Amino acid sequence: MIGALSLATIPAEDEALRPAIRRFLDEAMPSLPPEQRARSWMGFDAGFSRAMAAAGWLGLTLPKEYGGGGRGPFARYVVVEELLAAGAPVAAHWIADRQSGPLIHRFGTEAQRRFYLPRICRAEAFFCIGMSEPNTGSDLASVTTRAVREEGGWRLNGAKIWTTNAQHAHYMIALVRTSGTPQDRHKGLSQLIIDLHAPGVRIHPIRDLAGDAHFAEVVFEDVRLPDDALIGEEGSGWAQVNAELAFERSGPERVLSSAVLLDEWLRWLRGAVEAEGAATEAETALLGRLVAHLAVLRAMSVSVTGHLAQGESPVVEAALVKDLGTEFEQSIPALLTPLLAQPGRAVPGGLMRTLAYTAAMAPSFSLRGGTREILRGMIARGMGLR
Amino acid sequence: MDDLLARSAEELFARHADASQPAVLLEAVEEAGFLDALVPEAAGGIGLGPAEALPILLAAGRFAVRLPLGETMLARAALAAAGVAPPPGLIGLAEPWGTDAARLPPGPCPDWALWPEGEAAMLLPLAEAMPLTEASAPGGAVLRRPGGEGPRLPAAGLLVAGAWQEVAVMAGAMERILEDTLRHARDRQQFGRPVAAFQAVQQQLSVLTEDVFATRMAAQLASVAGSDGVAGLDARRVAAAKLRAGEAACRVAGIAHAVQGAMGITEEVALHRFTGRLQAARLRFGGEAYWAEWLGRQVLADDAPDTLGFVRAHLGPALPETSP
Repeated sequence: MIGALSLATIPAEDEALRPAIRRFLDEAMPSLPPEQRARSWMGFDAGFSRAMAAAGWLGLTLPKEYGGGGRGPFARYVVVEELLAAGAPVAAHWIADRQSGPLIHRFGTEAQRRFYLPRICRAEAFFCIGMSEPNTGSDLASVTTRAVREEGGWRLNGAKIWTTNAQHAHYMIALVRTSGTPQDRHKGLSQLIIDLHAPGVRIHPIRDLAGDAHFAEVVFEDVRLPDDALIGEEGSGWAQVNAELAFERSGPERVLSSAVLLDEWLRWLRGAVEAEGAATEAETALLGRLVAHLAVLRAMSVSVTGHLAQGESPVVEAALVKDLGTEFEQSIPALLTPLLAQPGRAVPGGLMRTLAYTAAMAPSFSLRGGTREILRGMIARGMGLR
Repeated sequence: MDDLLARSAEELFARHADASQPAVLLEAVEEAGFLDALVPEAAGGIGLGPAEALPILLAAGRFAVRLPLGETMLARAALAAAGVAPPPGLIGLAEPWGTDAARLPPGPCPDWALWPEGEAAMLLPLAEAMPLTEASAPGGAVLRRPGGEGPRLPAAGLLVAGAWQEVAVMAGAMERILEDTLRHARDRQQFGRPVAAFQAVQQQLSVLTEDVFATRMAAQLASVAGSDGVAGLDARRVAAAKLRAGEAACRVAGIAHAVQGAMGITEEVALHRFTGRLQAARLRFGGEAYWAEWLGRQVLADDAPDTLGFVRAHLGPALPETSP
C-alpha cells in the first residue's frame, strides 16, 4: 500500500530560476489574447521554442555534456510552472523536453544520446509520442503497429492516432510490437524512434472543435528504419513506457490547464470590485475554494517531484495527483459558467472566449495521458485491491 | 522525532481511547506531556511547532479520541503566550453562540473554556456553567456564560487555532477510515468474490484514497508555521486546509459508508465514530463555506497578480518561497 505524501519543498537554487524565466517571458513571449494563452501546452510556436533554447531553458534536466542544463526535476518544475501560468506556447518542445529527452538519456545508447539530445536542447528536434492507435486506447498493450526485423533495420507498418503535434514533430517515439501477437499483451513491445520524414510515413492532422489541429493520425506503410531506431531493450517497451508516466502525470500541467481562465476571471473580479464595490459572495467563495484546492494539489505535485528527484518512480502517486488535478482543472470552467451568466453584468469578451475554449476542451484533460478510470485502477492496485 | 512521537501517541491512544474512563486517558496524556506540546520550553512546555505536534493530533483522529486534546494544546499555547499559567485539566475553545452563550466541543465537558468576550477571550471554569439544552446537539453542547471573571487574552487567532486542530484530527480519522474500509472490502464476499474485486468498488476506493491523501497534505500545509497566530499558525493556510478537508470529509464518509454496506450506522460497527468525528469537525470553527469566502476575500485583496502567485506567497510548502 502506498504511504502518505509528505511535504516537500522546492530547493532554493531551483526556486532561484523563477525571476530569470519571468524576465525571459517578459521579453520573449509574444503578446497573445487570453483565449490563445489558454491553449497552454497545446499552443505551438516553434520560434518561441527556439528562443527558449537559445536562452538555455530547454533540456534543463539533461546533462551538460549533451547540451542540457544539468539540473534536477525541480528546476524544470519551476520553469514549467511559470510557462504554464503565463500561457506560453510551449507545445513545440514540450514532449521532447518533458519525456523523450529523459527517456533517450535513460535508455538510449551513447550514440543516440549524442545524436538526439543536443538537438532537443537546441529546439531542432521536436518529438511526439506514438501510443494510441485507431483500435487501441486505454488498452495500450493491444497495439498492433508492428516492426519486423530485416537486413540492416526494421520495417514498420501500422498507424498511430491522437498523436499530439505529429504534424510539427521531427521524430516520434512509438510503442510498437516487435514480436508475438496482441494476445501476448505486454510482452514483445518495444519503443522505436521514427524519423517522421522517412518515406512511407503519412500524417493527417485532425481538427478539434476550436479549429486547431494539435493532434494527428500517423500512418506507417513499409517504413524502413535503421537498426538504431530501437531505443532501450527490445521487448522492454512496456516497462520503459511506464517509467515515463510518472514524469508525464504529476507535473504542473495536470493542475494548471485552466489557469489562464482562472486568472483572467480573478483579474476581472478585482476590476469589478474596484468599479462596483464588491464581488458577490458566490464569486468570493468560489475563488477561495479554487485557490485552496490549487494549493493542496500543488503541494502534492511538488511532493511527487521530490520523489522523482530522488530517482524513484512514484507511478501510483503520480496517478493520484493527475486524477485529482484534472478533476480540478475541469471543475474551473464548469463552476465559473453559472457565475458568468449574471444578467446585467458586462463580462469582457476575452474572458468569455477563454471560458468557451476551456469549457469545450476540458473533457480532454482527464483523457490525455491516461484516463480517469485507468488511473483509478492503478491507485486501487497501489492500495492492494487488485 | 516525528515517527517516534507518532508511535508513542498511537500506542497511548490505542491503549486508552476506548476506555470508558476519560480521566484515565487524560492522566496518560498529561503524563506524556502532549497537552504542553505547543507551549514554549521557557514556559515549561515541550516547545514543538504545529508541524512537529501534528502526529499527536493525527493519532487522536485515528483513534477517535473523544477529549478536546487539540483544543487544550492550543489553549495552553495561547495562555502561555499571554503570560497566563494554564490550569490543570482540559480547556475547550468556546465558539460564541448568540451573545451570552457558547458552543463547546462534543464529548465530555472540559473543565475550562477560553470564553469569547468580544475581542478578548476569558479563561473560565465550566463546572458551574448551565447548559442551554434547547440549543445543544451532538455537534457540541451550548452553555450559558458562567459567572465570574478570569484572565483575559486576545481572542484573535483562536478560531484559526481551533480550525487547525480539527483539520489534523480529520486527517487522522480519514486515514483510519481508509484502512478499515479497504480491509472490509477485501474481507467481505458477495457474488462469490471480495467486494474489492468489483471495478465499481475499486474506483470508489481510489477516490476515497485521493481525498485522504489530499487532506493529509492540507494538514501539513496548514502546519507550516511562522505567522502571528497561536503557535505561529497562519490563517490563510488553515482556511485553505479546513475547507479542503471538510470537502474531502463529505466524500470520504459517503464512500466509506457505501462500501461498508451502511453497516456503519449500527452501534456495533465503529465507522460511525470516525465519520461522526468528521461531521463534528466540519461544524466547528468555521465550515467550508465560511472559510471559502474568507479566503476568497484575501485573494481579492492580495498583491499577487495571479492564483499561482498567491499560492506561492502564502500557501506553499515552504515559508517563504523566496523569490518575488
